[in-house]
Amino acid sequence: MSRFPRLALVLGLAGLSAVTGLTAIPAVGQAPKSGGVLNIMQREDPPQGFSIHETATISTVWPGMPCFNNLVLFDPLKKTESMDTIIGELAEKWSWQDNYRNLVFFLRKDVKWHDGKPFTSKDVKYTFDMVREAPDAQAKLRINPRKDWYANVEKIEAADPYTVVFHLKRPQPSLLMMLASGYSPVYPAHVPPAELRTTCVGTGPFKLKEWKKGEYIDFVKNADYFVKGRPYLDGLRYIPIQERGTKFAALQSGRLDVAFPGDASKTIADQVTKAEPRIKLTIAHQNVNDNLLLNVTKPPFNNVKVRQAISMAIDRRAAVQAVHQGGAVVGASLAPRPYGVWGLLEKDLAGLPGYGKSADEKARARKLLIEAGFGPANPLKVEMATRNIPIYIDLASFVISELRQVGVEATLKQIETAQWHPLATRKEYQAGPNLTGIGPDDPDANFYENYACGSPRNYTGYCDEQVMKMIDQQSQELDPKKRVQMVWNVQKKLEEDAARPMIDWRLEHYLQWQYVKNLIPHQSIYNYGRMQEVWLDK
Amino acid sequence: MSLVIFVLLRLAPGNMVDILFSTGGYVSESDKAAIEKELGIDRPIWVQYVDWLRDMATGKLGKSYRYDLPAWELIKPLIPVTVELAVLSTIIAILLGVPTGVISAVRQDTSLDYVLRVFSLAGLSMPSFWLGMVIILALVAWIGWIPPITYVSPAENFKIHLVQFLLPALAVGYRSSALITRITRSALLEVMREDYIRTAWAKGQSGRIVIWRHALKNAMLPVITVIGIEFAFLIGGLVVTETVFNLPGVARFLVQAILWRDYPIVQNIVMFIAIVVVLSNLLVDLLYGWFDPRVRYG
Repeated sequence: MSRFPRLALVLGLAGLSAVTGLTAIPAVGQAPKSGGVLNIMQREDPPQGFSIHETATISTVWPGMPCFNNLVLFDPLKKTESMDTIIGELAEKWSWQDNYRNLVFFLRKDVKWHDGKPFTSKDVKYTFDMVREAPDAQAKLRINPRKDWYANVEKIEAADPYTVVFHLKRPQPSLLMMLASGYSPVYPAHVPPAELRTTCVGTGPFKLKEWKKGEYIDFVKNADYFVKGRPYLDGLRYIPIQERGTKFAALQSGRLDVAFPGDASKTIADQVTKAEPRIKLTIAHQNVNDNLLLNVTKPPFNNVKVRQAISMAIDRRAAVQAVHQGGAVVGASLAPRPYGVWGLLEKDLAGLPGYGKSADEKARARKLLIEAGFGPANPLKVEMATRNIPIYIDLASFVISELRQVGVEATLKQIETAQWHPLATRKEYQAGPNLTGIGPDDPDANFYENYACGSPRNYTGYCDEQVMKMIDQQSQELDPKKRVQMVWNVQKKLEEDAARPMIDWRLEHYLQWQYVKNLIPHQSIYNYGRMQEVWLDK
Repeated sequence: MSLVIFVLLRLAPGNMVDILFSTGGYVSESDKAAIEKELGIDRPIWVQYVDWLRDMATGKLGKSYRYDLPAWELIKPLIPVTVELAVLSTIIAILLGVPTGVISAVRQDTSLDYVLRVFSLAGLSMPSFWLGMVIILALVAWIGWIPPITYVSPAENFKIHLVQFLLPALAVGYRSSALITRITRSALLEVMREDYIRTAWAKGQSGRIVIWRHALKNAMLPVITVIGIEFAFLIGGLVVTETVFNLPGVARFLVQAILWRDYPIVQNIVMFIAIVVVLSNLLVDLLYGWFDPRVRYG
């Protein structure tokens, strides 16, 4: 509390962004019933166990979320995530101060870790110092994919046991969005992060009972949970099933109650709901896009004309039909509307390279290629490197067929998963169809991770001073309306530069039995797995 | 054998740390080197090999890179699942294959023979995993039911346990039975033309005695060989069936371990499979002596 006198806190409280957590969220519609175990589809054993901060995969976030809490979280009962739907978890209240340079969290005092130790501000400082790799961090993550999210945090101060302050280098309203993601749990300071790879000590609504490798992960209700009356369920059982036919047969037969996010294609979802009408289909958004990586650090893709030609050659609407059987939508670098809140308007999108009428775009692509020195006598030869996973190969095959239509001699090179990221990080590829998942639907989370100069996940090597300036400007803009406009401009610029041409955004076809209540898919698959509000109407 | 396993495994591109980083979506060369050091895979290959041999000699088997648990602790509960499935499949294959082969031989070139030969050919043509998937999809479509998707031990509920294993065993056993049928048929046809069989018929012995006691016993050597090979093959070859029926067996775990480059797990499971192959061949050799005493007297 040293730097924040009590008066400042009182004033800050007057402008609280939100107040929640003290009272449990009312269930939608019927009166909730307590009891029962939810059987949940899981794709595989979670890589890195429950150490969510050490992965960038839904396979870890999905079974890890019920064990932990965040400072703040996107309201599980609201399908569209935005600044307005953020609610408190470990933070009872929070307040922006000093013109959005300091974010103060007032923590709950009644929270205990699953091993009985009290939760305090030290845990928060420990967690986020570790993630941002602060010089005085008490621990180090083995793998740290989201360090860049916290690059603007200058210091984290545990002002007192129940107050924590994030001091920022410059204003950044989006910090709250990133902290509300399923990727931002608070870890216990007294448990080394390595232990969280095999067990789970959190504050969350469910305690880990047993993880039988390759068979199931069992959680039981946390009887000491700080939200009274929650969770409703007695337990959760995550069952890893690799075979797609088996997992949906298991759902259809009632062996499973809910699906794994992002796993059901439109075709499968249609088949299952037709065969079993009591299974509910919710169409949402995954916040996962199909894109084309073009290595801009080497010829020919260091030439913007060639990149634009490639982007123009790809018919996005045809991709939606051919690759996803209609189960996707077209958009630029942020989730398209109405699913996302930052996506470009249809009229703006139509004017961007590659988003117009296919025949016109292809004609323009051929012209640009000729201008860049490639024609029938000297065709552009491109090796498309992609992971040897069917969803990647399907996408790559489509892109290759599109490029051939404008005279590009594209070939496919399948890469082992183990080799793909070293290759992409070292920029030892020409082009590669790719899938990118983004935690929260937020410009900062996306732009800094995928387009910022030097970011480890900026696989294309695209680095533009003007774009960086635009990204920084939108990041610190406090007026939401102005910021939306600025975010649109960044998106337009990225597509005009064909920095990483977007092909489509995958729609989520989420399946669950009708008796499962309050499990509401959001526009990002990474943020709604807490299970605190879920109950069974059986 | 251990050297072959060890070297072949390391020929696959990338290692466990590459896979770890792929789950994080990036690679940091310095962090990668630190993890490789932590796991001990930065050491010279021969040092790692000697370590593994030492671990095997002391029964430790090393530690899984992926799960950070002793390899034996992970592999041990999987072995009974795979062995049970392989044994059950083999029993079904024998019960289905031998009588079918005998009937087919005895009723050679009759319509019954043709039907049985088509039945066995169908078994050979259908991959067991495909048949398994068809069984699951047919069950869910027709009766809205499939076997449990988490392992039920016999102690927990024997009836459910049996149901859980019977369907995959049928899918696998049918394919193996087809091979046994064809070998039994051809071996029996050959034996039936022998002089001592003709003598047995001439002595007026009943068909049952001639076929089941004199002919079949002598025709069993190639059949036993096939059964032995099939059983050994099943231990490692049940991958897809275990995956389709979501059974936590050795084979399914092996594939996952290969994808994760979890060397300690892969090395030890492959070694286990190699031991099973050797033992089943030994058993087959011993059975030769029982079926044909001439083998014992050289």
